[in-house]
Formats: sequence, structure tokens, C-alpha cells
Amino acid sequence: MSQDLDQLKQEALDRLQTVSSEDELGAWHRDFLGRQGKVTTAMRGISELPAEERPGFGQAVNALRNELQQAFDQTQDKVLAASLQSRLESEQVDVTLPGRKPIPGTLHPVTRMIREITRVFGLMGFQTVEGPEVEDAYYAFDALNIPQDHPARDVWDTIFIESDQREIVLRPHTSPMQIRTMEQIEPPVRVVVPGRCYRYEALDATHEWHFHQIEGLAVDTNITMTDLKGTLAEFARQIFGQERKVRFRCDYFPFVEPGVDFAIDCMFCEGSGCRVCSGTGWIELLGAGMVHPNVLRYVGYDPDVYSGWAFGMGIERIVMLKYGIEDIRHFYQGDVRFLSQFNRVLA
Amino acid sequence: MKVPVRWLKDLVPVEMSSEEIAQRLTMAGLEAEGIEKIGIDWDKIYVGTVLKVDQHPDADRLVLATIRAGEIEQTVVTGAPNIEAGQKVAFAQLGARLVDPYSEEPKMMTLKANKIRGVRSEGMACSEKELGLSDEHEGILILDEDAPEGAPLRDHLGEDVIEFEITPNLVHAFSMVGIARELGALAATSVTFPDLTDLSVAEDTPQLVDIQAPDLCYRYVGVVIENVHVEPSPSWMQRRLNAAGVRPINNIVDITNYVMLEWGQPLHAFDRTDLAEGRIVVRRATDGEQMETLDHVHRKLTSDDLVIADAERPVAIAGVMGGVDSEISDDTTTLLLESASFNMLSIRHTAREQKLRTEASSRFERGLDPNLAMTAARRATALIKQLCPNATVTEIADQYPAPREQKTVVMPRSEIKRLLGVDFPDDQVIGVLQRLELSPKHVENDGQPGIQVSVPTYRNDINLKADVVEEVARVIGYESLPETLPVGQTAPVMIDPVLEFVRGIQDSLSAAGMNEVITYPMLDDAELGLLNPDGDEMPAQLGLARRPDIPFVKAMNPLRSEWRQMRPTMLPAILRNVAENLKYNPLVSVFETGRVYLPEGIDQLPDERRTLCAAIAGTFNPADLHEHAREADFFDLSGILAQLFEEIGAKNVELRQGSHPSMHPGRAAEIVADNTVIGIAGELHPIVAEQFEIDRNQRVAIAEIDLPLLMELGVEKFAYRPVSRYQPVQQDFAIVVDEATPAGSVQRVLENATQPMSTSVQLFDVYRGESIGEGNKSLAFRVTLAAPDRALQDKDIDKIRKRVEKQLKQQVKGALRS
Repeated sequence: MSQDLDQLKQEALDRLQTVSSEDELGAWHRDFLGRQGKVTTAMRGISELPAEERPGFGQAVNALRNELQQAFDQTQDKVLAASLQSRLESEQVDVTLPGRKPIPGTLHPVTRMIREITRVFGLMGFQTVEGPEVEDAYYAFDALNIPQDHPARDVWDTIFIESDQREIVLRPHTSPMQIRTMEQIEPPVRVVVPGRCYRYEALDATHEWHFHQIEGLAVDTNITMTDLKGTLAEFARQIFGQERKVRFRCDYFPFVEPGVDFAIDCMFCEGSGCRVCSGTGWIELLGAGMVHPNVLRYVGYDPDVYSGWAFGMGIERIVMLKYGIEDIRHFYQGDVRFLSQFNRVLA
Repeated sequence: MKVPVRWLKDLVPVEMSSEEIAQRLTMAGLEAEGIEKIGIDWDKIYVGTVLKVDQHPDADRLVLATIRAGEIEQTVVTGAPNIEAGQKVAFAQLGARLVDPYSEEPKMMTLKANKIRGVRSEGMACSEKELGLSDEHEGILILDEDAPEGAPLRDHLGEDVIEFEITPNLVHAFSMVGIARELGALAATSVTFPDLTDLSVAEDTPQLVDIQAPDLCYRYVGVVIENVHVEPSPSWMQRRLNAAGVRPINNIVDITNYVMLEWGQPLHAFDRTDLAEGRIVVRRATDGEQMETLDHVHRKLTSDDLVIADAERPVAIAGVMGGVDSEISDDTTTLLLESASFNMLSIRHTAREQKLRTEASSRFERGLDPNLAMTAARRATALIKQLCPNATVTEIADQYPAPREQKTVVMPRSEIKRLLGVDFPDDQVIGVLQRLELSPKHVENDGQPGIQVSVPTYRNDINLKADVVEEVARVIGYESLPETLPVGQTAPVMIDPVLEFVRGIQDSLSAAGMNEVITYPMLDDAELGLLNPDGDEMPAQLGLARRPDIPFVKAMNPLRSEWRQMRPTMLPAILRNVAENLKYNPLVSVFETGRVYLPEGIDQLPDERRTLCAAIAGTFNPADLHEHAREADFFDLSGILAQLFEEIGAKNVELRQGSHPSMHPGRAAEIVADNTVIGIAGELHPIVAEQFEIDRNQRVAIAEIDLPLLMELGVEKFAYRPVSRYQPVQQDFAIVVDEATPAGSVQRVLENATQPMSTSVQLFDVYRGESIGEGNKSLAFRVTLAAPDRALQDKDIDKIRKRVEKQLKQQVKGALRS
């Protein structure tokens, strides 16, 4: 019987030598070590042996089983390694081929800038609110200390809405929301107001009849012009870089007194004078000032108790300066080739 | 306003460059828009002396002039009729750059030697036009006798002209004297005021002027001057006028303009012999009254307009423009000089109605100081006497019913710190106010220290204590202000839920590959007509717009007719965008979260409704290594919308088969929440596409959604659902329903019937065939099921299948396929 086992062992090991695939590996295992395999069958032969030979034979078969199992495991490791190797070799790709890109979407650069600016002011405690674009002339002018027939009213080239008794305009600035906000709440007031504005203005590279502004308003018992300068400086440095210098100069807007123009040093020439800053070294960003006592009176705030400041800026201009966009008309022509450039996660 | 710097420095002798002057004034509120440098390009042009003038040997109308300019002596050929020996002229050497006098457009030329009728001309005696000083080219420019021969002309005649923007509050600075005052205050330099004639010696004849409308005319100074001689004004005056942008006419008109530039007070000179009864009546025009103004336009007036009349007829529109009938002519010998003060609103009204903005009206409408009228009359008289030595003042009337007095303003001393956030030393504050001629005085104000200022009547911009604070700040300079941040309590935190909602929609759609656009919110009627496939008529339904009974919101003065109407729907704007972008891009996928403007009635502000419009058209993967090209269609858009609704928690929003005039009849949906239509979606009707210049075979999927309704009706609070720890089970359901039953309804049933176990219900196949009967379809769904607390058993699944079967039968007449 042991001769048979030796023969079986030799047969199994010989065949194992020839195994080179996972399929052959499975077949070998089935033929020799499986439930119907030859080793199992050999073990069944034990019953035909005399009782005294049975223990020895049993041990021999088990030894054979163990030996073959070991041999199988080794071969299996080799075969699997080889097959993995060949798979890896066959699957090589040119990694420079284009990947499968998701279709990129973008927010409009004006939306992005509104978010950026309102976030900066949000961190300084300013709420974002919006207001109507079709506006009562009372809010757009009268309550802002710009009476009917005053020459200051000409500063805003206004588009008027057809009406009968009441004067209705397309708001030429976001400033009406100063009044609407103060009418609704008591100080302290800290709001920023983004939104569309309209002016009767011919379209060219730097002028749009339809544009966006952000208004800012802070009113309380202790609000000063140095706060205005500090707040605007903070904003300008967040948007245009920490190294920016800022400048106030006297300017006139009927709804503020004193009124100022806020400028930053030119980031294109670092203040030495270039085409962008018309050689002045300064870029004027916005108009601002202390809320005019008449305006405070209009909304029922006591100008001797409360003080405040307000500012208004054109958003397109900020975007143009930040990204070097040469023509304001791009914003509303809606060309996807322009818009899709604004896909950066970090501005 | 154009300010010649030499003139300015005559008034206020500062040692500053033009650039410094511009800079200082700009910082203080007078913004310099630019500096024009007259003579900067005058190279090789000198002051020359004409030594002799000989006749050209071969031409009657030409002369040979020998001109010396220091070392240089040359002979030039010229046809100038006014050249004479002994004159000082502007001599240009060969190579000098001059304005080409014969070119229509401003063009420079280089002076070259050339032979004129056989004689070589070595240079040129220049006209004003050739030097770029004016359009004068009749003769050459004759310089003053004391001009230094040989000096570069630039040094003698060059001039810097600063152009200032005068904001509406700065009427006091709308003159040379006014700007000199400002500069004097900034540079601590006194102003040298020009000579004035004392008019109090002339005979007072009040009957000369009758003010019949004292509400519109505050003061009228009339001065009669005899024995004037009308001729061109002297070169110095002409040069200053030209530099300031005013064309010289004759000495009298030039003087009125000169004084207006100098003092800011517009003047007018009438030929007195043209005035009926030789006197002035200031009155309202009668309705329909007519006159011809100096620009030769016949003007029709109303009783809102103020006129200067004689005893019979209007001779000028007050404060705006004079009339031709009493214009100063070469024969004028007696004139009546007007220096008056009018109601600013009235002047502005008339100038606007007549569409006639003049140098005069732009000053009057800012509110001139009536006290200035006499100053200007005296200055003009002095100049007339200077230029016409025989002139005598014979009569004068000064009608001034209510003389304007100085105001005083008291500023609490603490106000500077309260508004500016910083304070300045007392002597600095007082010094600034003194330099501004505000006569500051320390006073007690409610027991607190204060400063009282007396405001000169020409400063109509100083009325409140805040105005005084501004004066201090702008003269000391805002550069000195430190930067601080506001202190004190912040406002309560309120986040506008609508803005957050819009932001979420923008984020969701841009993450889904769409480009956000912002379009003009205005359009015209014709564009609304294009939304109708059946003709030019506006369709009954515009996007979502309701209230067709009220006219749309329209602009009175749009820049273009196509921007007249505030849009009631965003469809046209987005369709135009798609049409344009398809020209350059294989795929267009755009959205806008803008507003539509629904009318509420005349004299009412419209309902500005936030609206979403989104569109997709074109080809996905037009040239892609990995994917096949595919045309975008309705389901690309509806899929993005489904994703959007999921992300914003709009669970109750569903698409239903619908119809819309602008849409493909078989591919249109209503977007419904809580049984209310909140939007539309579909593929564009091919004819509407064509009307928007899109190929009719180009599919355009487009949707418009009312965002307030979506927010109000559709959005549910976010509900977290724990993830089951047990293995989920997938079950497929093949459901046979009538062909007409929408898949969405079946999906709803399935979703409801499998709650709360189902985590996903996905339709993956639609089958039609004999085996399920004609007129039926079979919808195959894969449902993922899991219980939070246990592994699902066969009996659980059986229960669910039974429930599904029952509800399908009841609600959509559907059956499970065995």
C-alpha cells in the first residue's frame, strides 16, 4: 500500500510542476486533495486493511496530505504572483491621456466678488440685506438729502419708470437701502447691501448702464470717521493684499458730511504711477463719509446722539482691478468663454 | 473748470508746481481731472524781432521778413497781412513741430525749408492756430512789446491749465478767485484781489431796473456805460480766455466772460439803444411768449421761466442766454451791464426745459451769492474803463430787496472728535477756520466750549456743525486720520434666509456644471412676441408671469428701445444667451438667479420676484477619449433640477406633464409644489428656437422657477436618518401600468409603499411588448431596503411586496409582473 502512496505522491508532485494558471491550480486541488480527490480516496481504502496496519497507513496518508498541501500552497503563491504580475504588465496606460473630468460650472465673477466682500464685512459684524431695484424717488434721492430740482440730482443720470403721480426710478445706487434699513431698525446698524443699479449712461469699456454696487452703513452712538477709514482699509487689504496703503480725500456726496473718496495705492505699479492709476499712484475705489445729519433726521434718528458712516462702491470695478479685466462689457455679454475662466476654488 | 496756472498765481502767489497745486486742491475736495500743458511741445520756437519786411520779388501778396531771435537771424516768406517791422513774433526754426493750420483734424507737422515763388523760407512766424493756442489763422501772433527776444516761446507764453471738476456744493470755488481762496487757505497764502471800480459815485437811477418777480430775482445791478468802443480785446485777455476755454469775441463780451471766470458771476451786456425805453424789467415770461436767443434759436417760454425784458419784450432768458435783438455789435457805444442774482431752481428748470446749459446757467443753478453781483459789476466796469479809456458810467441801479446776511454756525468743540474720531489742537483748528475767512470765535454752547464761525455769504455749503468739521478736516488733511475699527455693541445677528436660499441654488447649479450668467433685466415687447410660436402676438403665458391685466413696468428714458421694459420673464434673456454661446461652444449650460418685475399697478413699485432660469443645449463629450458624444436634452436639465431639489430639501416638488406656449408640446412640464405651479421646464418649441436665432433642430432644455414659491411650498426641514448597521437588501419590482400613467406617479407610490425601509428607489428600465399587453408598459425599479434595528427577513420582504402590490392597484391601476 505504501508503494501506492509513493506512486500517488510522485504523480501529484509531477503534475503540480506543470501547473501554471489559477484554473490548473484549482483542477489539481480537486484531483488530489478535494473531496473526491485521490488522496481522500486512498484514505477510504483504509477499511480494507487489516486492523494492525491501519494506524500506520492512516499516518502515512495524512503525512502525504500535509506534504501535498504544502507543495500546493507554494505553487499557488507562485502562480498567483505570476498572474498578478502579468495582469499589472498588461494593464499599463499612458497616464498623460486626458482624465475623465466632471463638467465644470462657475459662479459669475460679480457673484463671487459680492460673496467675498460680504464675507469680509460679515466678519466685522455687518449683515447682508437686499432691496428693490425699482425704487421710489423719495428713497433714491429726497431722503438722501438730494431734493427735487437740486443740481446734485444731476450727478446721477437716472432712468425713470413710467408712472402717473409718483416719481419712480431704477435705483442709480444702492444708497436707498440706507433709508429703508434705518426706517426698519434702531441703532446699532451695521449692514452691507449688494445689488443691481442702473444709470442713463452710454456703454463703453468702463461704463455700464446696468451694474452692481455694495452699500455699507454703520450707525451707533460712537461711530467715527477713523472707524470708516479702518474698516475700509481692512476690506481693501483683504481683497487687494495686506500691503495696500489707503488714502482719504475730500469729496462731495449729498448724503454724507464730511464726504470722502477712498483710494488704495496702485497695485499694478506699487504707487509709482502707471496707466491703470492714470499716473497718480492711487486707485479710487469708492465714495464714503459720515451720514449727513439731514439723512439721520429723515429716518428719525437724533443726529446729536447718533453718528454713522456709509460707503458705496461699484463691484465690477473691484473685480476688474483685482483680475485685470479690461472691459466692463464682458460682465453682461454672458460669453461662457469669459465666465468659465472664473473656476478657481480660491480667488 | 479750466484754471490757467499763471492767472491763478497772479491771484495767490504760491511757490508750487502745477502738479502740487492740482494735488493739494484735489485732496481738499476740488478734483483735478488733468493738467494741459500749453507750449510743452514748442521746441525750436522763440520770441523773435521782425527786423525788416520786404516785398516778395515775384508775388504781390507775399513778403520777406527778416527775423532775429538772439543769435539766430533768418528770412521767412509769409503772407501774413499783419506783419510789420519792429514787432515781436513767435519765430519757429526749421524742425519745429507745429499744428497743421490747413488740416480739418488736429494734426502736427514738422516745419521744413521750402521755396515759395523762388525764395527760400528759413522758418516761420507763427499764427495762434499753428501754436495750438486758438483757431486764429488770419494773421500771425503778435507778442507783447516787452517779450524777451531770443527766449524760448514756451517760457514766455507757455501755460499750464488745470481742469477741475466742480462738485455741485462748490459754487464758491467755481471761479479763479474762488480757487485762489481755496489754495490760499491750504497754502497759508493771502489772495490778491483784482482792482474794483467804486460805483457809488455814479448817479443812482432806480427806475432803470424793475424787478417784478422778486421770488425769482434776488438782486439786479444795472450799470449804464457810455462812450465804449467795441473792438477786439487785448492779447493778454484773449490768451487767458482761450486758455480757460472761452472764445474771444470783442472787448465788451470778453470782459463779461473774463469777470465770470474770475469771480464766478455771469454778466450780460445789452446794447442800451436796443432796449425799449432804455430800461430793464425782470419778470416771468407769459405763456407762449417767444424770443430768439444768441444761438439763433427761437425759444418758446412759459410763466415758469424768468426773462429779462425791456419795456416791451424779453431781451434775455434770465441766467441762461441773451437775445439777439440787444446783442453788442461793433457799433455799440452805450451799454447796459447786467450783474444779477436769480433763484437757482428756476434757472435750472428753465435751462433743462430749453435744453440749454450755458456757462451762466451752470453757475446760477448752484446758488450764487447775491452779494457777488455788485463786486462783479465793479470789476467789469473797471476793466471796461481800462480798455475803453473814454467810457463813463452814467447811471446805476441796484435793486436788492432783501440783502443776504452772513450766517453764524456754532460747533461744539467736542464735535470734531465725535465725528472724526480724533481731535486737533485748538490753535490749529482756529488757524484753519481763519484762513477760510470764517472768523472763528470761542463761545460757550449749552455750557460746553464751542467755536462760532461767521460764514461769508459766498459759502452756501456751510450750514451745519458737520459742515464746519469737514472744513477743518479737509484743510488739515484726511491723511492725518488714523485707522480704527468701530467699538461698541454689534447689531443682532440676522441671516437673510432668502439670500442663503439663493446662494444654495447658485452653489448647487454651478456644482452641476452650469455657468452662472447675469443678464440685463430689460427687454422689449417684440422679444416677448418671439416667445410665441404662432406669430408676433405676445403669448398668453410669459414664463410664469401672472397679472396680464396690468401694463408691464416700463422705463421712460431707456438707453435703447430694446431696454424699455422690465422683464416679466427671464426666458428671452437666457435664450439670447444660449443662442449667442452656441456659436462658440459645443455645450451651453447656463443659469441665472435674477429677478422678474411683475407690475402691481401704476404708481406702485413692482413685485420683484427672485427667479431661477436655467438652460442646457448642445453636445456632451463632443470629442472625448472615454465617452461618446451625446446631445443634451430635457432629461439633462430635469436631472440637474432633481439634484437641486434634493440638495435644497425640496422634497415635495415634482414635475408633471404640462404645456406652455413656448415649449415643445410633447416635452413640457409643470413644476409643482403643494399643488401650486411654481415653475416650468421643457424643451423649447422649434419655432420659438428659430425666432431666437437658434437652429430649429437644436434641442434647448430650459426651465424657469419662482424662487419665493419654491422656498415657501417646497422646502422641508432637513431630517437625519441613521445608517442601518445591517446588510441592505435589493429588490427589483417590475410594474405594469397603462401607457398614459406617468412614471413619476408610479415612483411616488413605490416610495410611499416601501417607507420607512427604502433608502433608494431607482427606475432602471421601461419595457413595452406583447407579453404585457398592448397599451401597457412595464417599469422596472430597484429598491434598496434596510431596517435600522435588524436584518430584514423574507417575511419582511413579503410584507413590503404585498403593500406595494395593493397600493399600486389602488392608486395607479398597476400590477406587479410575476
